Amino acid sequence: MNETYRLPRRLDTDRDTVERDLMKLVLTVVELLRQLMERQALRRVDEGDLNEDQEERIGLTLMLLDERMTELRERYGFEPEDLNLDLGPLGPLLPRD
Amino acid sequence: MSCYLYAVVPGPGRPSVEGLRGVGGATVSTVLEGDLVGVVSEVPDHEFDERALRAQLEDLTRLEAMARAHHGVVDTLADHATVLPLRLATVYRDHQRVREVLRERREEFAAVLASVDGRMEWGVKVYAVPSAPATSTPATSTPASASTASTSCASSAGESSSSRPVSGRAYLEQRLRLRRERDSGRRRAEEMSRRVDAELRGLAEDARHHRPQDPRLSGARGENVLNAAYLVPRSRGDEFSARVREFGVGESAVRVELTGPWAPYSFAAVESVEEREPSR
Repeated sequence: MNETYRLPRRLDTDRDTVERDLMKLVLTVVELLRQLMERQALRRVDEGDLNEDQEERIGLTLMLLDERMTELRERYGFEPEDLNLDLGPLGPLLPRD
Repeated sequence: MSCYLYAVVPGPGRPSVEGLRGVGGATVSTVLEGDLVGVVSEVPDHEFDERALRAQLEDLTRLEAMARAHHGVVDTLADHATVLPLRLATVYRDHQRVREVLRERREEFAAVLASVDGRMEWGVKVYAVPSAPATSTPATSTPASASTASTSCASSAGESSSSRPVSGRAYLEQRLRLRRERDSGRRRAEEMSRRVDAELRGLAEDARHHRPQDPRLSGARGENVLNAAYLVPRSRGDEFSARVREFGVGESAVRVELTGPWAPYSFAAVESVEEREPSR
């Protein structure tokens, strides 16, 4: 009997941690996509692939995304290097620099 | 009490270990066997049996204390004599057993001692240093350009004058510049590493490359691209260190770091002594 009552209470106290961990994972995945898009955009700018209009639109989008990421990160108290996953022998998900 | 073996030095004259303290603050003494001297101190059995030792090696605070004591003894010996440092936590039953090991492995120890005689180890690390602190928020890192941005931008969009790069294109250019600087910095550091290594090998008798250090553990700024050790005759130490210091001069993207002289830790490796000791 006792066991069944104890369990929910324990989960309850952990809720904040669970939410924070989930947020961290979501932000990490978004950051991965942001970095991939940025890399792709920079490559195309480098190759002169885009006209000025396209460059402006992509640049603005990436800039806004970067700002939002920073905001969200700060709201949850994560440092840039917190948004990463250690994939063991494959190394980190995002490049460390 | 067990017997902690720090290092082997050539005999038959014993090195002075007066006042020297080892692991756990124990008095350091010497064990002479033939023409080899083992430098030892006593350690409590219960802290150094197999299980306690494993726990001790996983406890970073105790491990650090042990490592400091170990290197303290080895470095003091290295100031005056040729020394063959043993691995951390090489422990024997008693003095008698240390004598046996010195006798059994005399040739191996003597050969290593001869190869490092009159030589010291120097450590050289090369780092790629990011020119500005790496930033993912360029908007805040350049307040000067951002303020001019808001004025020139105001007419076109009528947006709020919050501080951010002039435009989407300016943002991309900024990121591109940052990435190019980082790439070229890394290339410079790698090129420098090859030059440094090639020249230092000419001055040294032997060289070892260790794995680059993880900045999260070492706390060093920049990316470690070369982590090498060189075995250099004592007589050539000044020349060697002066040459290393010249490499870093006038370089902003590359940092060259010199440490030493050390006891020849990287070059005096003997086959693990512990494994030969039957576990009791």
